[in-house]
Amino acid sequence: MDVGTLFHPRSIAVVGASSSPEKIGHEVMANLSRFDGRVYPVNPSADGELFGEPFVESIAAIDDPVDLAILAVPAGAVPDVVAECAAAGVSAVVIYAGGFAESGAEGERRQERIAETAAEHDVAVLGPNTSGFVIPGDGLLGSFASGIDELGAGDVAVIAQSGGVAHALAFQALREGRGLSAMVGLGNRVAVGFPEAIRYFDAHADTEAIVLHVEGTDRGRELLEACRAAETPVLAYKVGESDVGDFAESHTGALTGDHDLYVAGFEQYGVPTVSSTTELLDGATALAGGPVPDGPNVGVVTAQAGPGIIVADRIQRAGGRLPSLSDETEATLEELLPGITYADNPVDTGRPMPAFGDVVATVARDDAVDVVLVYELYEASIGLPVDRMEALVEAVDKPVLFATDGPDADVADDAAALESLGVPVLRTPERAADLAGVLARYGALRARDAADAEVVARE
Amino acid sequence: MSDPSPLADAVDEAAASARAEGRTTLTEAEAKGLLSAVGVATPEFELAADPDAAVDAAERIGYPVVAKVSSPAVTHKSEWGDGAGVAVGLDGPEAVRRAAARIDEAAADRGIAASVLVESAVDVDAGTEVIVGGTNDPSFGPVTLVGLGGTFTEVYGDVAHRIAPVTEREAREAVTSLTAAPLLSGYRGRVPADLDALVDVVRTVGDLLDASPEIAEIDLNPVLAASDGATALDGLVVLSEADGAGDAEAGDAGGADR
Repeated sequence: MDVGTLFHPRSIAVVGASSSPEKIGHEVMANLSRFDGRVYPVNPSADGELFGEPFVESIAAIDDPVDLAILAVPAGAVPDVVAECAAAGVSAVVIYAGGFAESGAEGERRQERIAETAAEHDVAVLGPNTSGFVIPGDGLLGSFASGIDELGAGDVAVIAQSGGVAHALAFQALREGRGLSAMVGLGNRVAVGFPEAIRYFDAHADTEAIVLHVEGTDRGRELLEACRAAETPVLAYKVGESDVGDFAESHTGALTGDHDLYVAGFEQYGVPTVSSTTELLDGATALAGGPVPDGPNVGVVTAQAGPGIIVADRIQRAGGRLPSLSDETEATLEELLPGITYADNPVDTGRPMPAFGDVVATVARDDAVDVVLVYELYEASIGLPVDRMEALVEAVDKPVLFATDGPDADVADDAAALESLGVPVLRTPERAADLAGVLARYGALRARDAADAEVVARE
Repeated sequence: MSDPSPLADAVDEAAASARAEGRTTLTEAEAKGLLSAVGVATPEFELAADPDAAVDAAERIGYPVVAKVSSPAVTHKSEWGDGAGVAVGLDGPEAVRRAAARIDEAAADRGIAASVLVESAVDVDAGTEVIVGGTNDPSFGPVTLVGLGGTFTEVYGDVAHRIAPVTEREAREAVTSLTAAPLLSGYRGRVPADLDALVDVVRTVGDLLDASPEIAEIDLNPVLAASDGATALDGLVVLSEADGAGDAEAGDAGGADR
């Protein structure tokens, strides 16, 4: 199955397109108005035109080839419309309607019919039971959600089992001033599932990191193998500690819960799991926009002891390590800050000061450090060490994160300047520590897999 | 995993009687026969048809021995027959004869065919009881588990799962990730267990599941992890249903969208 025409179509038909603004068949037409290709409104009982395109009565009535059909029709009509699409040579279909395998025997039969059509004609079906997908960089908004047109282009692809979660992540990104390279709600996964979506966005030029929201899938092994094969960093949020399977006879069966297998499997296949949408987006944004860490060791520099302690404590609980710094690093720190408060890791300078940027750079250069986390309350007379960090990120190929706080108006410019350098700026110590934890876990898995590869190469 | 067929062959051989009789659960003797064939240590054992044969077996194996009911009709041996199902610490012929006779009587009372499994007794205090197991998961395929074993396995739930087959490094990490791991490495003067041997058992269980779709579940509980090796003291092997249940359905039924 080729999902290329699903996620990169040249032409689209909206079946169930409507002139009534309260219908999703209208909302999706509105969202597709930015699409750089023909969009055909299909509705046998409508006349005139919609967004400048004349209504057509059926998919079959469109003379030109249609790559993607978006179905805004009720569940009962979906199987026949999918069959019409397949007969007309449409190779990708999005089904918004619910009322399929998630809702009883009749729904299961409907889904079965769609699955058969999709398999027979090799149609890439997204859904059913999804609110669709968007590729903001292509102006392709295959979603009926209002406001999704405000989401800009970015470098993180969201692949969510739930369309609702996909949109929640999209609006969270929007609120944080970030864009996405893609947002996909998989829904019931009658044809297009995690493996297909992961492979596509791994090869997608605009995508630098992939995040997964997973509730449960029958294709766990394929999902893991697609993650392992991906060159793009992948993070996963597995939700739902569901019941164990139908095993009664053995202890092993009773002890083997679905959730345990996902968490263990993701780690085994090189994917860190997270426990919130915030960690998911923060982690992916950092991995997409900056260097990726080579190990789990975090160097912490703080200008205030208290937040530094919160950070140091939380990083270790999140799977990061705080390594000792080298003698050379400590000697340099002594020179920079005679009588420094605490020159081991975390390095506590006591307060913001002109040499602060040099202190950060010294810690960042230590070979024992894979990730640098800086905490510094904003002090207007000094600001954040933007220039020093600009030089540092050019010279050192490891993630550097800042956590700071102060009035928004004071902090905003320096924070934006750091963000533009690929230095994430978080506003609470916990959120920064959680991000460092995600990066540390990712670094640990990379280090592990690199060591494995070295063993294989030697053998 | 370069040549998995010897493992699959061993499974087919061990499962032949069960398949012929329409059983999906191997007897302990069948399961231990399979384990021996694939290199997992088990205590020396023999099957005996009656009390005299049980004594003969015990003489060959050497005292002390354990006597257990062996029957396709009995899964939970220690709870079976008002405690007749398992007799431990049998240090002479009379004790063996009595235990075997009790098993015979309990089987006759219940109208089942049973023989007596006579097995070399193992000092469980010489090591740590571990569980090693595996299942054929509908979504992930073969998966393995290692954890703190014995009677309280499910109470503590101190287990680690891995997708099988597992590498040596993955099996070792699974073992060392357990809360109980210090018990295996010489906590407070204990003799450290032979971790390499335990890691081998974890790998072998994963390899068995990976090599043979015949196996639905394996449960080695306990495996005694001692300084001189890892020995499976009990073994449960459940075969997959013969009708090929669990074939993929159209689409992906797991988890509806919300």
